[in-house]
Amino acid sequence: MKKKLLAALLCVAMTVSLTACGGSSASTDTAADAGTTEAGAEAGTTATGDVPAHKEELIIGTAVDINSLDLQNQSDQINNICLKLTHQTLFDLDADTNRIPCLATEATWIDDNTIEIKLVENACFSDGTPLTAEDVKFTFDMALESPVAGNLTGLISTDVVDDYTVHMNMESYSNDFMMSLTYIPFGIQSKAAYESGMEEPFKIGSGQYVFDEWLEGEQVSFVKNENYWGSDPGVSDRITFKPYLEASSRVIALQNGEIDVCIDPPANELQYLEEDENITVYEQAGTRLFYFAFNCEKAPWDNQTLRQAVACAIDRDAVLQAAVYGKGTPQTTILNRGLFGFYDDMEGFDYDVERAKSLMAEAGYADGGITTTLTIANSSPYTNIAQVIQANLKEIGIDVEITTMEDATLKSTCKEGGQELFLWRWNEDIRPDCVYRDLFNTGSGSNYHHFSDPKVDELTDKVLTDKDEAQRTEDSKELQTYLVDACPQVPLYISNLVIAYNKNLVMPYFRGGGDHYWKNAYVAE
Amino acid sequence: MIRYIIKRIILMVPAIIATSFIIYFAMNMTGGDPALTLAPENATEQQIEEIREELGLNDPIYVRYGKYMLGMLKGDLGTSYVTKRDVFKTFMERLPNTIELAFTAVLIATLIAVPLGIYTAIHQNTWKDTGGMVFALFGVSMPNFWLGLMLIIIFSLNLKWLPSGGKEGIRSLILPALTVGMGFAALITRTTRSAMLDVIRQDYMTTARAKGASEKTVIFQHGLKNALIPIITVIGMQLSNALTGSVLAETVFSWPGVGRLIVDSISKRDTPMVTGAIIMSCVLMCVVNLVIDLIYAFFDPRIKAQYSRKG
Repeated sequence: MKKKLLAALLCVAMTVSLTACGGSSASTDTAADAGTTEAGAEAGTTATGDVPAHKEELIIGTAVDINSLDLQNQSDQINNICLKLTHQTLFDLDADTNRIPCLATEATWIDDNTIEIKLVENACFSDGTPLTAEDVKFTFDMALESPVAGNLTGLISTDVVDDYTVHMNMESYSNDFMMSLTYIPFGIQSKAAYESGMEEPFKIGSGQYVFDEWLEGEQVSFVKNENYWGSDPGVSDRITFKPYLEASSRVIALQNGEIDVCIDPPANELQYLEEDENITVYEQAGTRLFYFAFNCEKAPWDNQTLRQAVACAIDRDAVLQAAVYGKGTPQTTILNRGLFGFYDDMEGFDYDVERAKSLMAEAGYADGGITTTLTIANSSPYTNIAQVIQANLKEIGIDVEITTMEDATLKSTCKEGGQELFLWRWNEDIRPDCVYRDLFNTGSGSNYHHFSDPKVDELTDKVLTDKDEAQRTEDSKELQTYLVDACPQVPLYISNLVIAYNKNLVMPYFRGGGDHYWKNAYVAE
Repeated sequence: MIRYIIKRIILMVPAIIATSFIIYFAMNMTGGDPALTLAPENATEQQIEEIREELGLNDPIYVRYGKYMLGMLKGDLGTSYVTKRDVFKTFMERLPNTIELAFTAVLIATLIAVPLGIYTAIHQNTWKDTGGMVFALFGVSMPNFWLGLMLIIIFSLNLKWLPSGGKEGIRSLILPALTVGMGFAALITRTTRSAMLDVIRQDYMTTARAKGASEKTVIFQHGLKNALIPIITVIGMQLSNALTGSVLAETVFSWPGVGRLIVDSISKRDTPMVTGAIIMSCVLMCVVNLVIDLIYAFFDPRIKAQYSRKG
């Protein structure tokens, strides 16, 4: 009897194990039938003509989990990359981050307070319903009430003029606003889907792909939109994003052929990938700026000369080597590379220990004697950077204690001004105002430097509103030079974009900041 | 016996309340504002404040906890701050994956460890015993993530027999289960050996041999049966641990289990998800422990009699 019970228990254990192999439950949604499939002349990038021979499924190994596909209630880069498959914005970006038409054919400032936007007339959602001005108004009205509204600064409201024309009512003219219209959380959503009461109406978009299934923590898949209206449908029949949080596992999965693309391969394992003849390791200039910064409200870091001394003491080349094995570019200015008005030729504060000591003396700290805390996130590459800086500052008599914390805690600490020195990064590749204003303007929520200078605030407004391009370029140069001299932060380096993939991957282009468009990518066969 | 089970189930209530209280307040005490985590980096102060208001973060902590507990009484574990999905539903989606990994790992561990423990006990102080104990020491000392990566390199990268991660059928279960199971096997081996050594020296074992019972009968019928209680205890403990998530193995093998869910949620300050998932894990642990206690009674009539008296 007891033997039978023991056997039964073992059977139950094995059955539970094996039945669970069948997969967990998933939220699945499919595109509705019908609708027109007429090609649109303004559809976006390039017309593909015949479909090339390709692998059915493109599998992308990501470094983080996908956690939401609700466009306006998330802001993670990985979610946005997925959403670029299913949704389209009024404007798109080309390989050089120039704004190009997508769902809108043109946009014009009628006056300083109104933008007129003309829409393509044959676009439709994946459920076959036409995409009209009502949907655009609905999307932007909803966005103004959402957490991503900060990216629509200046927009007051949207009016429908006719089925394919909208007016955006603005507080004032802005050079950056049009670029904000390329941001995927502002992908146009279906008003009808929301009014129908369906579950998760945000999944209805007008992009080349439709959502297929999401096994949380496991994978998210998209299949081709049978109702796609444009002339550039995707090639891969299915695109799947699979999180491999452990970097080494992600690398091995690529070598094994389990995935076709490895996002963010770790720098110390690139040599294994480079030696593999079936894999391409691709590298290009990036846009993500890593920087060392001061809490300018806290003594002694409210002393500008002392900040400059520290800037001179930091060996950026050593930092770059320690952080990413040299895969990046040291930088002097505070602006992300590639943005309008980028200027990096100011004198700045190159690594010069003697100059640093001289500035220390000028600041009133000839003998050093400063003990301070450097607050960093407990993730790569901050620990390596911090150790180099700790050694650098020791040379000019500054003892640095490194405090590590999680990202969430770090952000709260920095926002509340609890830090003295800190390391952080900023990634922006389309709107310079999101650097100047967000990081350095008085009262900005992400101004962790707690820096305040009326001249910077004034110049920021000018750069945003200058209509004359030459003047705007001059103002940008002046603002950057001023900020580098004021030294609320010490820009360290821009990390390169490094990505590894199956050598047969065909990808039109990569975005330096990591916001790739996978819609036209495929693995050739 | 039934009364004993009911009593144990009732005792789960204070355990759950205490767990929820500790977790909820601990999450609040750790730094990091969930609103800041959710808001885009360039969100204005007003937008961050709106998120806080929407999430109810402006209420005092005891009010939030009270609301949470009221919801829980109605079977509502809340909604994730990050994914906006129902916490209970999300947990239940991940749970089968964790159960699958936990049971397979414990099964592998038991199948390796119990025979090895018996074998080393029978051959005490010989090279066979030493070999078994070296294996156990290796298993205990080996970091989980290191073993996982080694197994991936050998079986996925070099031999190409098994996938390196993800969850695609039984093939993808083998490596994570082996990784988790090896650590468990080491502990179970040592416990089995020790328990067997205790009973091997008992008089009734000598009596059994004197009565002409075969060595196999002596060891398994008389020895193992009496050594089972500590072995079951340690197996149960390992099962409880595995059911609450094997974070490292789940991360290395991209296994979508409960452990990874909890750790990810902690880093995002997703208080409802962390609290809900840990409460559910607590319930699971209580249930497993109850089942283990009932198994004791099955193998040992003395314990069964105790339960009946207590009941």
